[in-house]
Amino acid sequence: MSKARAVLGRIKSVEKTRQITKTMEMVAAAKIKRAQARIESARPYAIKMVEVLNNIAEYVGPDSHPLLKVHDPIQNVVIVPITSNRGLCGAFNMNILRQSEALYRQEVAEGRNVKFLAIGRKGVGYLRFTGYDLLAAHTEFSDKPTFVEAKVIADRLVEMYLEGTLDKVYLVFNHFKSVMEQKPMIHQLLPIKQEEITDAAAEKKQEAGYEFEPDAVSVLYDLLPRYIDTVVLRALMESAASEQAARRTAMKNATDSAGDMIENLTRWYNRARQAQITQEIAEIVGGANALQEA
Amino acid sequence: MADHKLRCEVVSPERVVYSGEANMVVARGIEGELGIMSHHIPIITPLEIGELRVKHDNEQEHIAVMGGYLEFREDKVTVLADAAELASQIDVARAEKKKEERERQLAEAKAGDEGLVGAEISLRKALLRLKVAGRVK
Repeated sequence: MSKARAVLGRIKSVEKTRQITKTMEMVAAAKIKRAQARIESARPYAIKMVEVLNNIAEYVGPDSHPLLKVHDPIQNVVIVPITSNRGLCGAFNMNILRQSEALYRQEVAEGRNVKFLAIGRKGVGYLRFTGYDLLAAHTEFSDKPTFVEAKVIADRLVEMYLEGTLDKVYLVFNHFKSVMEQKPMIHQLLPIKQEEITDAAAEKKQEAGYEFEPDAVSVLYDLLPRYIDTVVLRALMESAASEQAARRTAMKNATDSAGDMIENLTRWYNRARQAQITQEIAEIVGGANALQEA
Repeated sequence: MADHKLRCEVVSPERVVYSGEANMVVARGIEGELGIMSHHIPIITPLEIGELRVKHDNEQEHIAVMGGYLEFREDKVTVLADAAELASQIDVARAEKKKEERERQLAEAKAGDEGLVGAEISLRKALLRLKVAGRVK
């Protein structure tokens, strides 16, 4: 009967695991809401920023800023995969890394020199282990991304772009579509795509004859790097929300399968117990019969 | 013109700091102070690290703006601040500490030191916080 005892121990252990996964699921669910609220409260700034950029774009030529200019030839590419610091969130990190590696191969195939700027402990660990060239590694970011954190990354990239040591930058991050769905997304951060900032301009009527202080070009010069900051911040926030959503889903699945496992193990245990009792009875009856016959 | 109101909104990358009506908004642009009232010409200007005053009837809201942008259009002022705090939200003790720290750092630093600019900006922010916080008492 030692096997039945082992199963009993197993059931207990799975029950404990289920308790943990259940708790993590609930914690993640609570954190999703907060992360979502953070994305929401960042939205007005981002919308306004694009609006102002649109307005300026009407006054200033498209090539008037180096961050808009496409470098020729494109030699140095940086890929920025945004991963999490913690695990237990399903395929969250692997999706990002797989996409990043595909992008890496694609760029290398075109004869470019590609480096990674990894964000998140998981991504840094993987890329280091696999032996890729890391430009920088950021594992110090919290799960509540701040503007300052985004700025650290964005400023460095912008500076390198302006120096000419960098010709193209991609962000790879999990886009928060809904609580149920997160999608890895590749976003070209630099150079800024024209249509990104002039998109809505077409439908806007020329109602505002703006006055710029000191002038349109210097306003644009000041504004574009900030725009990059907000794009990075947005990606970090989306990723943070997605992480929690992915963790919730993963933990829900784990909780469910723990439940199934307990059910199966309990069934097995009961069957074994019953079989044992049946056997004992059979033995007793057999023994009694044997005595009677004797 | 006193009855002409305009809308004022101050947003930082992380949140909406202030939103309300105003008769006049006074800000520190990089070219100097500027006051905006209703029917001002549409304008976009970068802002210094400075105080933003929103006058509404007889009240005034003081907001510490750590640089950013001001846009005015269609009777609406939008401030895209790098960071911003209402006077009531300022942590005075922390600002005080920062100020002393930075002052010491600047006094010890030699010209051409790295980080000098950063320390100075930090000091200016601390001073601004103290100034703005001092307005409501």
